[in-house]
Order: sequence, then C-alpha cells, then structure tokens
Amino acid sequence: MEKLKVTDLTKKYEGKAVLNKISFSVNEGEFLSVLGPSGCGKTTLLRILIGLEKQTSGQILLDGKNIEDLPPSKRGMGIIFQNYALFPNMSVLENVEYALRLRRETKAGSRETAVRTLAQIGMAEHLNKKPAQLSGGQQQRVAIARTLALNPSIVLLDEPISALDVENKEIMKRELKEIQKKFNSTMIYITHDQEEAFYLSDRVIVMSEGQIEQVDAPKEIYSHPKNEYIKKFVVAHLDQKLDSLMKSTGRK
Amino acid sequence: MKNKTFLLLKWLISALLVVHIVLPLLALVSHISVEDIQTVFLSEQFLPMLWNTFLSAFITTVVSVGIALLLAWCVNRTKLRGKGVLTVLFTLPMLIPSISHGMGLTLLFGDNGFFTNLTGINIHLYGLTGIVIGATLYSFPMAFLMLTNIFQYEDYTVYEVADVLGFSKMDQFLKITLPNLKKPLISAIFAVFTMVFTDYGVPLVVGGKMTTLPVYMYREVIGLLDYSKGGIIGVILLVPAVIAFFVDLLNKENGAAGTVIKSYEIRENKSRDAFAKIVCGVTLVLISLPIITFAILSLVKQYPVDLSFTLDNMKESAALGIGGYLLNSLFISLTAALIGTGIAYYAAFVTARSEKRISSMALHLISLMSLSIPGIVLGLSYVLLFKSTFVYGTLIILVSVNIVHFFSSPYLMAYNSLLKFDHNLENVALSLGIGKVRMLLDVYLPSTQETLLEMYSYIFVNSMVTISAVSFLANFRNMPLALLIPQFDSQSLIEPIAFISIIILLVNILMKTIVYVLKREFCAR
Repeated sequence: MEKLKVTDLTKKYEGKAVLNKISFSVNEGEFLSVLGPSGCGKTTLLRILIGLEKQTSGQILLDGKNIEDLPPSKRGMGIIFQNYALFPNMSVLENVEYALRLRRETKAGSRETAVRTLAQIGMAEHLNKKPAQLSGGQQQRVAIARTLALNPSIVLLDEPISALDVENKEIMKRELKEIQKKFNSTMIYITHDQEEAFYLSDRVIVMSEGQIEQVDAPKEIYSHPKNEYIKKFVVAHLDQKLDSLMKSTGRK
Repeated sequence: MKNKTFLLLKWLISALLVVHIVLPLLALVSHISVEDIQTVFLSEQFLPMLWNTFLSAFITTVVSVGIALLLAWCVNRTKLRGKGVLTVLFTLPMLIPSISHGMGLTLLFGDNGFFTNLTGINIHLYGLTGIVIGATLYSFPMAFLMLTNIFQYEDYTVYEVADVLGFSKMDQFLKITLPNLKKPLISAIFAVFTMVFTDYGVPLVVGGKMTTLPVYMYREVIGLLDYSKGGIIGVILLVPAVIAFFVDLLNKENGAAGTVIKSYEIRENKSRDAFAKIVCGVTLVLISLPIITFAILSLVKQYPVDLSFTLDNMKESAALGIGGYLLNSLFISLTAALIGTGIAYYAAFVTARSEKRISSMALHLISLMSLSIPGIVLGLSYVLLFKSTFVYGTLIILVSVNIVHFFSSPYLMAYNSLLKFDHNLENVALSLGIGKVRMLLDVYLPSTQETLLEMYSYIFVNSMVTISAVSFLANFRNMPLALLIPQFDSQSLIEPIAFISIIILLVNILMKTIVYVLKREFCAR
C-alpha cells in the first residue's frame, strides 16, 4: 500500500534549484534510503517532508492527503537526527514519556507506553539514567524509542549512525533493521554511505545535485546501474569495498 | 499559536533594551553643546587630564594583566596546594567597591598612613603611584579569571608532541602557550584598560593633584551640575570602550576551541613551586592588607593611636543611617539580579536558540553593547533621558541602571551555555509539537541552573559594589551603601568608610557562599 507519494517536488533558494522535480513513493512498512553525497539535497528533502521547510512547488500526499499546510507536529511523522537531540535534563524514561504526555495521554498510559517501547528497544535497564551517562549508541536508541512511542506513520532518519564509531555503527545497523521489522514501521533513511543504504533498504533512491538518478532495489541498482554516475558513485565504490574485504580475509 | 508568547516577550525585551541602552546614549549626545566642546578641548587642563587618564590606564593594564597572567600560571602550572582556595581569595578584591581600595591605600601608605608612620618610608602615594596600585588591586581579579580558564583547557598532548620533537621550554611557551592565550589576553587587556580608563573611585581618593577625566566628569556633574561638559567627557570615555567592543567582536570565540584530550601534566620542579609560593603569598598579603585594615579600623577606638576594642564605630555608623542605605543596596542588588537574570536569559534564549534573523542579531548586538558603556557615562545618560519622568529619584531607576550596566556578562554566560545544546533540539520540538516557551521551561531552564545562579550572583555582587552608574542618579533617599564612601571621603569620615567596605564584603561573601552551596546541593548532574 502506498504510504507517501511525492510528485515533482522542487525547492529553490534564491532562484537556484536544490531539489528539482523529485518524484517517488514509499510503501507501508518499507525501508527506503535516500543516498547521495553531501550537498545533493537529501537533507533538504527530509526537512520538507517533515515540514521544517516549505517546498517551492510540488505535492506531498500522506495516506492520500495533501500535507503541505500542516505544521511538523501534525504530520504524524517522527524524526531522528545524527546527534540524538535528547533532552539533557531528563532521564531516559522521562525523555520518552515527555513526548507522550504532550500528546495529552494519561500519566499511567504514557508511562506504560514509554516503558514498553524502551524495553522493546533494549533500554529497559537504563530507564533512570541521564543522556550524558549513556554511550552514543544507547542515546540513539532512546531517540528512536522517543519517536516510535508516538506511533508515527513514517519515521525519518537523518544520518542517524554516522556519529558512532565503526564498531557501534555495525551493531546499530543490524539493530535498526530489527527495530524496523519489530515495529513494522515505514522508514526513510538519509545517508551518504553506500553500504548502509544497501544493507538496510528495501529500495534506494540515489540522488545527485537535486535530482534522482535511480530508484530501485539494491540488487537491481548494483546489477543494472542506469547511468555513469551510478556506476561511479555506487557500483565502483561497492566493488572497491568488496575487493579490499576479500583481500583482508584472504590474507588471514 | 503557542509561539505568540515567545514573540511577544521577544519584542517586549528588545523594546526595553532599546529604551534603556540606545536612547540614553542618544540623549547624552544630543545634550552636548558645540560651544562647550570648544571650551573643553581648548582648556589648558584638558590635554594633561587626557594624558593622565591614558598613562595611568596604560601602566595599570600592563601591571594588572601581567600579575593576572603570573597568578593564572601559578594556579594552573605549578604544584601549589590549595589552588581552589587561592582562586577564590584572588577574586576577593572584586567584592568591594573600587574606591575602597583607594581608601585602604591611603590608610596604609598615605602621608599619615600606618605603614608610613611605622617604617618612616613614604612612597608618595598620591598621584600616579596610588592610581596604579589601587586600580591594579581591583582590576587584576577580572583578568585573572579570564586567563585561568584558558590554562585549564589546554590540551597536554600538544606539549608532549613538542617534547618529542625537541622543542625547548621557551619555544613551547612562544609557539603553543602564547598563541592559545592570545585571544583571551587581548580581551583582558582591553577590558582592564577600559575599566581603569573610566573609573573615578580610585583616582578621586588617591589621585592627589593628578586629575583624570572621570574624576573631572564626576566633579563637573556632581559639583557644578554641568551636564553638557560632563557629556563631552562621557563621549571621550566611550572611545576606548567602543574600540574594545569591536576588537572583542573580531576576537570572537574566546577560550581554547579544541577539545582537551589530556589535561596538563605538571612535572616536579621545586624551585618553580617555591617561586609560585612567594608570588601568591605576596599577592595575598597585598589584597588582604586593606581588608584587614578596614576590619581593625571598624573595631578599634582610634586608629592608629588607641587600638583597644570598641563597638563605638558601628554605633556611630548606625547613627549615620547606614542601616537604611544597606537596605537600599540589598533591595537594588536583589531586584536587579532577579530581573536582570531573567531578561538576559530570555534574550540569550532568543539569540542562541532560534533562527538567525536580523531581529535576533540586532538583539545580540544591543545585549553586548552595554558592556562597552562605562558606568559613569551610562549614569549621566540616564539623568538626561529620565530627568523629568516619575522614575527619576526612585529605587526603580537605580535597579534599571544596574541591570543595563551589568547586562552583557550574564547575557554571554547564558548565551554560551545555551549554544552548547544540540542544534536539532528545536527541530525535534517542532516535530513533537513542543512550543518554544515550553522548551524553555521544561528543557533549557532545568538544564542550566548553574548558569542562572552565576548570572544572579554576578549582577548582585556588582550592584553591591558599584559607584559609577548610580552616582548621578542617587539622592539621599534611594542612595545605595557604596555611594556613601565618596561622600564620607569628602568629609574625612574614615571609620564609617572602613565599616561600610567590610559590610559590603561580608554581604557579597554571603551571596557567593549561598550560590556555592546551592550549586553543590541542587545542581548535581
């Protein structure tokens, strides 16, 4: 089922198009990545989807409804940032609870939802810790729980694991996939990292300079790159990575 | 819309700041008459006074920043014990009015001073010597605080690399330490220079025949009620402050920018530590001497003739109505600190936590501007702007002049700590539907209690000791305690001055202690 449909989305800054007639759709329960180098417009796309910025032209339909005039909080989407953006004065539990309470849920109800969500995400033993006492990966889990607890129709993730070290990145990558399955949520994942995008996604949008180069399943992109750009930015990069991986395991 | 409150407060505060900072300065400039400019500039005393002011400020800056640098080094780069206590003690002189330092010097080293009589050595205090010593005493703690911070945040790995590469100690100092210190050093130099250039307290008491511009301005306005001439001098006093303001703007991002991977490791060095001990010891003696003198003076029959203990001086001071003036001071300081902290915090919240619009950039500039207006100039500007309004002659005007006078530093404290939060918090709030005011109340205020306390204590302490901005605005009813000092000085009432200085010191120590305890008890992370 089609969850989100974007048609001819364009964003201009002082006459220059940062996004140029972007069209794509996301299905319910799908994990979609938007992959591209920095400056390709992927973060602008995300900011327009959540409502932090307004498009110059084009249409966004969520469940068939135009959401252009809705403020971010009324769009029913959740967002997760690179640096977690937790409330530093609140405990893990309070961070999640606070968002729920603002939605006018009862005290007991939001407590229960918060505890359950945090438990599902593996943070049950850290409920009373402050963000400063947690590792980067743990903080990101709290941020994810804070978003998922509100039961958003789509979760937007802006390079959520790029601030982590290599080891934790791998762990978090795996967990993100599990979390997405567990909550059966629709996710749009912004990244500049080819491996992340290919590992996590059902489909990948490859962007460059404000335009979409290709939208396909990872396998399809790899085996049938549409143009030279995809070959260079995606296929060659992955080949190189694979190559060095083979060499290093071969040496052992 | 929830953000209506936010915008309403933003514009209200911007308007308040414009009325209380920009308008007074315009009033000052508009009151100057062209003939008076000629009279002042062509008068015989003008150039010597300008030279006196510049010379004393210049020498004091060199001495004061030099001492501050030396002390900061002692506290951070040697193996002295009790560094925390030392840091507190070094800042004690900030807790009494500048004029008290002048008074203390007179009592000790004046022609009839205790030290002079005891040893027979007369250092000929009155004049440049007195101004430099007195001004150094009250200005070095500020420079010390600015520099000691930087020493603390130096990364040691750089020094280790330098060691491995075979850099000599001297090279390390010149190539690593000094560049790290450059920006705060420039800030400290300009801050001290401006402070001394515009102070009338010390030169009024120990300047002797050496008249400086602020003293001249003080006499013109207080004695002769000549606002026009006062205004001209005021504008001249603004010059170094305005230069300092722009230098500071260009000199942004004080403090070591990089992260500290490893804090500085101090090696064994006996002779270095002994040297530091002597430096700190001498400093402590110098800053405690006037305070001890005040204490003795308050408690003995007749200094230095009869040193037997008595409470007569206190009774006499009470008879002079000191109690009422203390209440004035407490009211002014507590209120100014409360309102000032609130406004400064909100202004910082607007400028640090919302989109960079022209309006918030303007608010940022106005908030920093008050730092560069010398108190005595601000005071005169207030007289000219508010003379015929109902607030004139009330405690309200003294509260507001103090808020403006001491606005920039607490504003910067709040601004810097609010900048440290993740810049995406606002976006998260937007996506969760949390209004700006809610964020302020639920997230920022609870996370920055320490900063709030620091801001409060800063405005309080400074309002207790200031005699500059309030001097032209006070009358016998609303006068704060510190202003009695220049008045009693002209009547040679020494004991009450000593007693007042001690009271102000004790009140400020009490405030600092309360803040310290509150921070320790309630602000645990």
